[in-house]
Parts: sequence; structure tokens; C-alpha cells
Amino acid sequence: MSSKGSSLIEAKKLCKSYFNEGLETPVLFDIDLTINSGEFVAIMGPSGSGKSTLMHILGFLDHFTSGSYLFHDEPVLRMNDDDLAKIRATRVSFVFQAFNLLPRTSVLENVLLPLLYHPTIAASERMDRAMKAIATVGLTDRAKYLSNQLSGGQKQRVAIARALVTEPEVIFADEPTGNLDSVSGRQVMEAVQQLHEHGHTIILVTHERTTAEHAERIIHIRDGRIQEDTKSFKRRLAKEASTLAK
Amino acid sequence: MHVQDLFKTATTGVTVNKGRSLLTMLGIIIGVGSVVLMTGVGKSMEGVILGQISILGPKSMALWPGNQGPEGGPSTARSDFDALSIDDIEALRSLTTITSIAPIIQMPGAARYGREEMTPSTVGSTPEFYQNQTLEVTAGRLHDQSDEEAARAVVVIGSDVVEELFFGGNPIGKRIDFGDRKFTVIGVLKPVGTQFFQNADNRMIIPFNTAQALKRRNYIDMVTFQAVDDFVVAQRDVESFLRQRHGIIPPADGSTENDDFLVRTAEQAADTLSTVSMGLTVFITMIAAVSLVVGGIGIMNIMLVAVTERTREIGLRKAVGARKRDILRQFLIESVYLTLIGGIIGVAGGLFFSYLIALVVHRVLDRYLFAVNPASIVMALFMAAGTGLLFGIYPAKRAAELSPMEALRYE
Repeated sequence: MSSKGSSLIEAKKLCKSYFNEGLETPVLFDIDLTINSGEFVAIMGPSGSGKSTLMHILGFLDHFTSGSYLFHDEPVLRMNDDDLAKIRATRVSFVFQAFNLLPRTSVLENVLLPLLYHPTIAASERMDRAMKAIATVGLTDRAKYLSNQLSGGQKQRVAIARALVTEPEVIFADEPTGNLDSVSGRQVMEAVQQLHEHGHTIILVTHERTTAEHAERIIHIRDGRIQEDTKSFKRRLAKEASTLAK
Repeated sequence: MHVQDLFKTATTGVTVNKGRSLLTMLGIIIGVGSVVLMTGVGKSMEGVILGQISILGPKSMALWPGNQGPEGGPSTARSDFDALSIDDIEALRSLTTITSIAPIIQMPGAARYGREEMTPSTVGSTPEFYQNQTLEVTAGRLHDQSDEEAARAVVVIGSDVVEELFFGGNPIGKRIDFGDRKFTVIGVLKPVGTQFFQNADNRMIIPFNTAQALKRRNYIDMVTFQAVDDFVVAQRDVESFLRQRHGIIPPADGSTENDDFLVRTAEQAADTLSTVSMGLTVFITMIAAVSLVVGGIGIMNIMLVAVTERTREIGLRKAVGARKRDILRQFLIESVYLTLIGGIIGVAGGLFFSYLIALVVHRVLDRYLFAVNPASIVMALFMAAGTGLLFGIYPAKRAAELSPMEALRYE
């Protein structure tokens, strides 16, 4: 992982349009954004605001139409498909709202999946890493269960284990609590919080204020534009309280 | 992605839906099974044909009227069916390169004994006939020169005739009705099974002179004889002798197309049968190969369905770092797996049915034995894997080209 506070993501005038039968639908307009290593950032906005599209572009899952995007000062535009796949395999990972676990496959196999594509982690290390990641989310006793035998909260915890098994620098979480009840949602956010405390950069996309409040920084997005970029009130209060207590 | 991981992933892909995988393989199983079966049957037939030469001996030769030989159909249906006269045969006896000349007249018709009736394959020929075909008796005797000279109404019968007319009892001395005359049975032939695809135990042999007197004709249907030394020399000798007698001028290319007769060695006859049998095998194998192509299309169809069904999985794999070539290889290996497993099942099935056929046919054709054609098995498996590779490319490419985001969003 790179040193905390150094520039990790730097987007300038980033635009994204979708084209369908010659018809252009713009989704993002002139996004200027810098995210440093170790930050916990929430991208918040209503449905259709472009927050997920922004996350997919920042997470190398989608291409932008214009502007520039530097990842560790490296222009993403110059990277080919293999370079992008390598970054996805080694430096970033995702937690999706719909969990996206492989059906009819065990928890362990799901968590092992990213390691199959990791270029440097040896096959002999895989099992230990996967079991460690499963233990981190408290599902050791469920390791052999099939994914469809789990509750929604457990599925999302498996997705979190899968995201951290390669020890990536950045974890992108797209509405990770969107399909969960409040108790499971809280557990999942605690797990995300822990990942941040362990030094991972977290970029969380949500439309719920309570979920966004877990982040240090909240970027509000509406109609494809950044409207506000603020420090989280709740986190600020918590920080001040801990300073006072000291 | 490591090779072993690729194979493991592909195995999971194939085994996760066993029923569908098996149905997908069906076309390949049938295709490969048919190829193995047909080539196996071909190989067994080859054994039967080669066995014929060992019965007749490489020096046995035959002469037919008309230049098409036995392929020209029944003797009277052939062109120049009366081209070989009895005088020709007598003249042939002057050649020093051939010996044991046995002219043959075919005698179609029913044979009766009491209330029993059957239609054996009856020929009139001289005692040399037995010599040329290495025939022996199990009871009684073969007819001899004195029977010929006296044109006696005697008959030597095959073991099946004994079964049909005499229910296996002793037929020696009994009189069979054949062609308005009564023939006394003087000998029973030792069973020989099938020769050149004909039941050789279903025959009756009467003296040539008796047959000629009954038929009242001066041409013959076939002649068997033996080469004194080299059969190629003998063949050339007979050909040039008959051409001279019949006033035939052969074409400049040396072909036999102007001839009104055909000379063949036993080996050549077996070669012809081999060619026919091989042609048939190739033809049926080609039909079987078509079912491989049909099977391949089935594989492509199912792989396309699998790609659509697993679009989100492909998206997920890409999201966790799979490259285009990882996805391409995964789906290609799955496709080859399907066809290869189908191929292996097909080979097993083909061998099994080939064995069953051999068990049944062996009862009728005792030289028909279970035979395996290893080259065809290797070829069929390669064809199966090739089919998987060929028909898997398009679906695999489609999967590999999906953008991760599009694939993840797919519903």
C-alpha cells in the first residue's frame, strides 16, 4: 500500500456520455476530484445522479469520454486492457450492492476467485489468505457453505472478504448496504470501517446519509456534477470527542 | 491465470449443469461412436476378406465372360454372357502356364427331397473345382472323372443342404429331385462357412457334363483354374490367348476394355471386395462425420447460451482481474472439454457396439472377429476436440470481448 496522504486518484474535467444509436446521453460533466491514499470517501447522491458511473470509471471498470484521470500520477488513458485488468487484480477491488457471488459455489471458492487472476500471489498462499479474509468478516464456520445458503448480510460479508483477499489499496463499495436490513447493514459498515482502519482507501457510493456518515469525506453529486465536497459531520464530531477525551 | 486453474474452472463450468452438458455432448457421442463403430466394422470385414485368400490360395484364379466380372450382376444379365464357349475352355487346356481348369455352369432351381424343398446354389463343374477351392468331404466322396465321362446324375452337397433336406441325417445314396431329374447324393462337403460373402455350405455340385446336358448350352458362366507358377504370367497368358481366339485388339493403353472376358486372381478378387468394403466404410464414416458437425453446432449454441447466462459471472471475473485471454481460454477449454468427454464416451460406445456386432456376426461369418482401428479412435478424438475448438471460438470470443461494466449490469 502507498504512503498515507499521497495523491492516489486525480481526475480533471472528467466527462462520461453513453451513446446509443448515435444518440448521446451525457452522465458526468467536468468532474474534478482528488482522493488521497488512506482516505474514506463517500460519494453521495440521488438515484441517476451519476455516482455509480463515477465509481466504475475510478475503479477501471468503465471508460471516460473526455478529461484526464491519473492513478498514482499515471494517466489511465495510456493504459491498455491488460494494464487495467492488472490494476483490478492487484490494486483495487469492489463490493457490489447485489453481492455478485458465483452461484452454486462455496464461500471459500468465491473468496479464492480474485487470487486466480493475481499475477504474484503463489498458489500455495491462496488458501491461507482466503481463510484469513473469511475470518476477518467472521464467517470461518460458513467457509464451505454454498453462496445461496447464506443470508444477505452474510453474502455481503463474503463479498467484503473477496474484496480484501488480495490486500488492495482501494476498495470501491457500491451501495454495500442497499440490499440489507438495518442490522446487517450496520455489521457490513463496521466491517468496511475496519478495512479503512487497516489502511485501505475506501470509496463508498451511497444514497443514504447514515451510510455516508461513516466516511471522513462526503462528495455530493447531482445531475452528473459535484455539488459539494465536505468533511463528514459525524466523523468530525467523533474525532473532536476523542481529542477532548485525550 | 495458471493452466491448472483454467482447467479447474472449466471443469466446474461443465459439471455444474451435468444434464445439460450430457445432452450437449450427444451429437458428438453419436458422431464419434459411429466413426469408431464403422471403422471397426470395416477392419473386421478386412479380416474376413483376407481370410478368403487363405482359403483359395494365392495361385487360384478365375475367368468370367464379359469384362465386368462378377460386378456385372447375375451371369445372364452381363454383357457378353455367352462369350466363353466350351471350345474356348478346351483350347485353354493347351496353355502350359495354367492347370486345374474347372468350367462352371450355374444351375438355378429348387431341390426337393420328399416334402422338403430348398433353393441351394447349384453349379455344374469338373472335379478340378474341388481342388481349386480346397473342398473336402465329411461323408461319401467327391465326383470324379468317371462320373464326368458317364454324365451321371450324382450330386455332392453342402452341410446346410443336409440340414435342410435331410434334417442332419445321412443323405448318402438318397435321391434329390432337381431340374426334372433325380440326383443321387454321393458326398457331403466339409463346412467352410462364408466365402466372398456367400454361404458356401448351401451349395450342390453336379458333374459338368451332366449340367451341360441338362442346360443344352455351349457356353459357361465361370472358370476357376490355378497358375502353374507365377499368376501374373498366367493371367497375361490367358488374356492374350483369348484375345487372339476372339479376334480382340486391345487399346494402346493396354486396358482390358475391349475384352469380352475378365481374368482375376484370388488376390485381385479380394482387393476388389476390399475396395468396395473400404468405400462403404469411408462413405458411412463421412455420414458419421456430418453428425460431428451437427454436434459442433449444438455445442456452439449451448456455449452461446452459457455466455449469455453467465454474463454477470464474466463481468465479475473481469472486475477481479481476469484478462480477455483468461475468459477466452476458459470458455474454449469448456467447449473442448464438452466435445472431448463426448468423444471419449463415443469411443467407448462405438467399441461396445462394435463388439456386440462382432459377437452376432461371428455366428454367421466365422472369420468376422472384433477388431479395433486405433488410428480411427485417435482421429475421432482429434476431430471431437477440433470441433470443440472450432465451434467454441465464437462464443468464447463473445465472452472475452464483453466490457466488465456491461457484463456486470446485464440482467
